[in-house]
Amino acid sequence: MKKKILLVEDEKALCLLYEEELSREGYDITAVTDAETALAKLVKTAFDLIITDIRMPGKNGIELITQIMGMRKDIPIIINSAYQSYKEDFMTWAADAYVVKSASLDELKAKIKELLGD
Amino acid sequence: MSELRKDLVSGRWVIIATERSKRPDDFRPPVPAAPAAEAVGFCPFCEGNEGKTPPEVFSLRTTGTAPDSPGWTVRVVPNKFPALTPGPPSPRAAQGVFQSMEGRGVHEVVIENPNHAFELSDLPVGHIRDVLRVFQLRIRGIEQDLHYQYVQIFKNKGKEAGASLSHPHSQIVATPIIPKRVKEEIYGADRLFRTFKECAFCRILREEEAAGTRLIAKNEHFTAFAPYASRFPFEMAIYPRRHSAFFTDVREDELETLAETLKHVLTRLKDTVGDPPFNLVLHQAPNPSLSLKGWPDIHLKSHWHVEIIPILTKVAGFEWGTGFYINPVPPETAAQFLRQP
Repeated sequence: MKKKILLVEDEKALCLLYEEELSREGYDITAVTDAETALAKLVKTAFDLIITDIRMPGKNGIELITQIMGMRKDIPIIINSAYQSYKEDFMTWAADAYVVKSASLDELKAKIKELLGD
Repeated sequence: MSELRKDLVSGRWVIIATERSKRPDDFRPPVPAAPAAEAVGFCPFCEGNEGKTPPEVFSLRTTGTAPDSPGWTVRVVPNKFPALTPGPPSPRAAQGVFQSMEGRGVHEVVIENPNHAFELSDLPVGHIRDVLRVFQLRIRGIEQDLHYQYVQIFKNKGKEAGASLSHPHSQIVATPIIPKRVKEEIYGADRLFRTFKECAFCRILREEEAAGTRLIAKNEHFTAFAPYASRFPFEMAIYPRRHSAFFTDVREDELETLAETLKHVLTRLKDTVGDPPFNLVLHQAPNPSLSLKGWPDIHLKSHWHVEIIPILTKVAGFEWGTGFYINPVPPETAAQFLRQP
């Protein structure tokens, strides 16, 4: 069965790109553009992994992952941000990996495989 | 009229703005800000969340408990997303006139206690001593690798001081070069040693103890005072009364007294200006295992000490442009309030 990934990314163009690239890798991708929708999806679906941006309108990615910790501590989370500076926030430790956005998704794909044990 | 004062070792000037002089109550925050971790109910440093940190490099824990599980009292973990990564640094590469090197180094977090709500000053003296002992052990461990020329221990308390998490913690960063500010302190101490024929810090200590106007606390092993050229309101320094360049040389009985001193001054700071954010910085000599060319007698000239900088004012354009600082609370006034029980 396909592994389910929840992608939280406010830029719709990036959502489409990630969906296309990661679906090609054999994952079932659910893309949402804000944290509140992500939390609602998490209640209904047992995702295997979450990828989240940090800077988003409304609740930011760090607030989202810390809230997820109150629901499910075991779900692997990858922070995918364009900014290195958020690494200084120790609340990012709630995530399992921090991948800086890049034109290539190779690092992100490798991290997904590592965390899902593929 | 305001007064210009010069810091003896660094040569830095400050403006003590007496006409802007403020009282401790002027700095009390109206309402303490709610820390993010409490708001969301999760903290990666809390007991039970060990799985969210990288494997511990050291811990003090109850006998029979396994690493990376509950049962610890002080825990040291590498930074999960470090700015510097361990390993030997590559030779410096030049791009035209610009130099660079790989970001090698050590970055560890010392989680001071398992309880999110207990600040360092809330802990029993014995526990604070344990935290200090862990600092010593980690410095010794890191300094065995000669690639690390300087080990910096520091604590950021409160958001305005740079802490992203309110769970009490300190940080250890080891760098493959001796930082510029550390070198400036060594150069200053070296210059003054030639003038005074003794350690400049020992001289400062003797004069502060004799004057008494800036003293905050004094015991058998340590003296806490508001430095003569304090840059910030309620800035404090703790000097060991026994000359020593390296924090790792502090004896067990001295560690206990240092813990008492820290608890006392941090509690006094809290009582005086209402639990302000602060930075605590340990100053010490570089890795003693290095061949410190040019500083063969650094152990005579350098003098480890603790600096505590409450964040009560903002550093702005004038400070960045000139290196001058404007302090609206004379250190004599600060010491007077901090001394009062």
